[in-house]
Amino acid sequence: MYAIEAVNLTKKYGDFVANEDINISIEQGEITAIVGENGAGKTTLMNMFFGLQRPTGGELKVQGKEVSFNSSLDAINCGLGMVHQHFKLVPSLTVFENILLGAELKKNFGIFGKAGFKSPIIDRSLERKTVQKLIDDYKFELNSEDIVDSISIGAKQRVEILKMLYRNVDILIFDEPTAVLTPQEVDELLASFKELKNQGKTIILITHKLREVMEVSDKVVVIKRGRVVGTRNTKDTDAAELARLMVGREVILNVNKEDRDTSRSKVVYSVKNLSTVNNFGKKVLDDISFDIKEGEILGVAGVEGNGQSELVRVLSGLMESTGGSVSLHNQDITNWWPGELRASGVGIVPEDRYAQGLCKDMTISDNLIAGYHNNPCLCKNGLLMKKEIEKQGDRLIEKYDIRIAERNGNVSQLSGGNAQKIIVAREFDSDPKLLLVSQPTRGVDIGSIEFIHRKILELRAAGKAILLVSSELSEIMNLSDRIIVMYKGKIVGELPGKNAGSERLGLMMAGLPAE
Amino acid sequence: MNLLSNILYDMIYHSAPLILAVLGGLFAHKANVLNIGLEGMMLMGAFSSTLFVMLTGNLWIGILLSVFCTLILGLIFSFFGISLKSNFIITGFGINIFVLALSSFMLKHLQMANINVSSIINVTGLKINIPIIRDIPVLGSLLSGHTAITYLSFILIIVVSIIMYKTKFGVYVRVVGENEEAAKSVGINGTYIKYAAVLIGAALCALAGANLAVERMALFTNNMTAGRGFIAIAAIYCGGAKPVKSSVYAIIFGLAKSLAINLALFAGPVSGLFEVVPYLMIVVVLFAVSALEARRTKIRGFKLE
Amino acid sequence: MKKRDTILRSIYNVLFPVIGALFLGGIVIAAIGENPFTTYAIMIQKSLLSGGGLLKTLHFAAPLILTGLAIAITFKANIFNMGVEGQAVLGAFFAGVVGFTVKGLPPVLHIGLCVLTGMVVGMLFALIPAVLKAYFNVNEMVVTLMLNYVVVEIVKFLSQGVFKDPGSGYVSTYPIADSAMFKKLFNSDLTAFFFIALIVFGLMYVVFKYSKLGYEVTAIGKNPEFSEATGMKVSRKIMTIMLISGAISGLAGAGFLMSEKFRFTLDFSGSPGLGWDGMLIALLGSHNPVGILIAAIFYSALKTGSDYISVFTNVPKDIVGVIQGMLILLLSVKFLNRNFNLADRLKAIWKKAGSKGRKAL
Repeated sequence: MYAIEAVNLTKKYGDFVANEDINISIEQGEITAIVGENGAGKTTLMNMFFGLQRPTGGELKVQGKEVSFNSSLDAINCGLGMVHQHFKLVPSLTVFENILLGAELKKNFGIFGKAGFKSPIIDRSLERKTVQKLIDDYKFELNSEDIVDSISIGAKQRVEILKMLYRNVDILIFDEPTAVLTPQEVDELLASFKELKNQGKTIILITHKLREVMEVSDKVVVIKRGRVVGTRNTKDTDAAELARLMVGREVILNVNKEDRDTSRSKVVYSVKNLSTVNNFGKKVLDDISFDIKEGEILGVAGVEGNGQSELVRVLSGLMESTGGSVSLHNQDITNWWPGELRASGVGIVPEDRYAQGLCKDMTISDNLIAGYHNNPCLCKNGLLMKKEIEKQGDRLIEKYDIRIAERNGNVSQLSGGNAQKIIVAREFDSDPKLLLVSQPTRGVDIGSIEFIHRKILELRAAGKAILLVSSELSEIMNLSDRIIVMYKGKIVGELPGKNAGSERLGLMMAGLPAE
Repeated sequence: MNLLSNILYDMIYHSAPLILAVLGGLFAHKANVLNIGLEGMMLMGAFSSTLFVMLTGNLWIGILLSVFCTLILGLIFSFFGISLKSNFIITGFGINIFVLALSSFMLKHLQMANINVSSIINVTGLKINIPIIRDIPVLGSLLSGHTAITYLSFILIIVVSIIMYKTKFGVYVRVVGENEEAAKSVGINGTYIKYAAVLIGAALCALAGANLAVERMALFTNNMTAGRGFIAIAAIYCGGAKPVKSSVYAIIFGLAKSLAINLALFAGPVSGLFEVVPYLMIVVVLFAVSALEARRTKIRGFKLE
Repeated sequence: MKKRDTILRSIYNVLFPVIGALFLGGIVIAAIGENPFTTYAIMIQKSLLSGGGLLKTLHFAAPLILTGLAIAITFKANIFNMGVEGQAVLGAFFAGVVGFTVKGLPPVLHIGLCVLTGMVVGMLFALIPAVLKAYFNVNEMVVTLMLNYVVVEIVKFLSQGVFKDPGSGYVSTYPIADSAMFKKLFNSDLTAFFFIALIVFGLMYVVFKYSKLGYEVTAIGKNPEFSEATGMKVSRKIMTIMLISGAISGLAGAGFLMSEKFRFTLDFSGSPGLGWDGMLIALLGSHNPVGILIAAIFYSALKTGSDYISVFTNVPKDIVGVIQGMLILLLSVKFLNRNFNLADRLKAIWKKAGSKGRKAL
């Protein structure tokens, strides 16, 4: 009997097929990895397992019995738990409130020694005690009374795991659990997987990182374009074969970057003592200083939420600084607005593609001119030159290999990779002196990743100064000439890009000094 | 002394419907459903309570039926806004205009300029005078001589606080508003919670309307809510959607109204202009609250609301 | 091909609510014991099917086109300027004041002066919520609604006081001078104001379709964060949009006064008011200028026709307001869109409600 079995499971959205005829059987007490590229359909599959989406065809069996989940509650009651990639936590509530959400404990009122009745009032002290005991049982590092908003990402993940363990689930699904962790935290998490396995839990690990798969799993299922393309026992396969199955061709995992000596190059961009505060008055950028030279890529590493977002916001004119200065070619551009920055030669690839980079409900060519629509060849006397705009659109679509179904279609129809290429085309083609690039390949397919990396290196070769912020360590290490590491709004150290070593970076990302 | 008593009495008098609308609107606001329809729901409460009192001849049956009517209105709003995922700002305005038009249509059809039920209801008889307290100067006018729904509105401030922060339902409302996905992932049905939140608002708005029309004056006139629903929204906004804090803002706005009425008596020829004071004050308070917030944030630009 | 689909879809999206609201309105009419068919027949006959009626409809459509445009440009940017009503009333009032206090000007100049006054007053009044929204992020919706009530009280105070025409039996200002009136053209109700409205419509058409401002308004409405990040200086754009909206609203009020009412009375704007009608029209026209033009004429026909139904039937003319409310309600839902049509959505809700019936799609 399998813990979970999917038979011809299918999910369609209109004409779009997210999953087709998925057949997977997952053994009790094993760690099964489900791997695939971004957009291959792994998350949709797991959402069906967890009752968040309903399949449009096929069967799902848990412990041999066919099930049909109307909500995640049904899944939990069947012993399935899921730890999502984007945590499903309520930031303003405490750790214990989050863990007991939906399973609150109520006060009992005993009257004159008789058996009490349940009141509608929540018993907070009982909740706190219950959760603290759970934390202690599993030896997790957590404080039940902390507000979730204020705890680290690793801790939030532990809250998610406990939320499921409290509900006595036997099968745990992890969706891209290591995406946001430091290398050391990843190791800890992998260790706890083995611990959970020893306690008899079944684990499904969804990931695109093959190192983790090889290290921890018993079995691997590879998914490509919504279909299962291979099932292997981990001990019978290797990373290269899995990569080939995932992408369908050989993957060059390392980019070729020519070394160059920039010690004599001119400084293009200079940031001095930059600081800012968040809405609660807390310093989120604290005395940040760095220079970027011509033809140099400066990487910014760090665990998410340590000020990188705010750094990019301030540098791209979306947030004001409270102190310090920024200059480009010796011109003071501190606190300039985005329009002024672009006009003076700053290209910006923002962190959140669909919030700041693109307007989903506008056409592709309208998105391709955004930020440069004041350009005299696109706009005369306040009127837009529709012909020129379309021509420019066609040119960029061609040059940056943006694959579209419909020329006048909206951006919302594009895949993550093609959407990102629109931003890249727009910002890279404007011939900037400086590029601010944030999370350029998040949620993007491997082909687009390779393309975007190549374009970044082309601009480096053309002598542009580039600031690269990414939570993907391998990206930072592969592309950067120098790396600075941020922790709690400060720069805790700088390393040369070559031979930075993920171990050392990991320690610095956790706020420990580099030796 | 007399003036002070009057101002305090009127402050409570004018705060009560605002507080009810605020408390009702809070739930929807917390559940992330902006209910612009408070105004229309309140007007529905005022209109239907008076109408049914006239038809049935009984105050409490009238109020009960008006709650029922307003709940239907709340259901329409929820169905459009939550189930059909409409633009609920527009839906809310639709509700407001619909109720306004329906009530004036009905008045015309019944060939009445307004509905007067003072022959059925003795308004002074509805005022509850609390012994002992009523004889204390100032405090007496503050606490005594109000109607049942007025007292209820103040009691509800505490009840709503408890519901919002101590019970499962309150937690769920806040969770659904803050992160609906989180709620969904542990099996809380966001749709039900939102429906419930809107319906609670509708019921309380019905009481607010009934308080405004039958209980205080035994009279319904066209558009008699005069923007109180929107004032309630401003109070919710200023008070950060916290029950006590938002109610305090409602009371402040009640005070503004009371001051405008009581001081206009001394204003002679410009007394007509005093009517604008409460509305202007809302703009000023809203400005002060938002400006403070805007100064604190360093992030530029606007977000979709 | 695809574009035609989109246009068809938006036409269905408008037609369905119109039919729905007329149907529900018919039920209300039937409920008070009148015949909905004769009622609607009278409305259409008097407003569209007779030459004089049609011109009257166009005449009354003029201010509605303008308030519709005034609302549409702000709604499109997701700015809820509910102050169009107040801006129109205030603009009308002061245009009227200039109309009866200034004497001896040639008509063209006098009309020009009044119109300009209305526009400037509308703009100045829109400036308050504009500054508050753009630079302090104050909720513009509540502010403009509150200011509407302020306007009501102020014009009431002024028209009962300094500007009251003692010769009038009810509260009213003096009538405007002959030289400030838009004259009736071709022996009909139509005046030059209708053509002014058409010119503004033409200008706004260009703004919406071809201008940089139109592009930016669309972007701001769909994603303000993106707009700021791509250098559109959203706060400055909010100012521009609000001022344009205020000017058009003021023009609407001034023109309505100078072409129809000729003096300011307390029920000048009607019930629920020109601004509210404008909101319906903007929605009905899907914030699209051509749509707004059609919607304004449609709604004007309803209103013009409603003046006659109380003559021939016992249905109060307020039925139009009831239909308007239901229409706005129905218009708030996009019944058809790209991925999701009404039938599917209702099916989904139905399935959820009775979750036992688990059928494959």
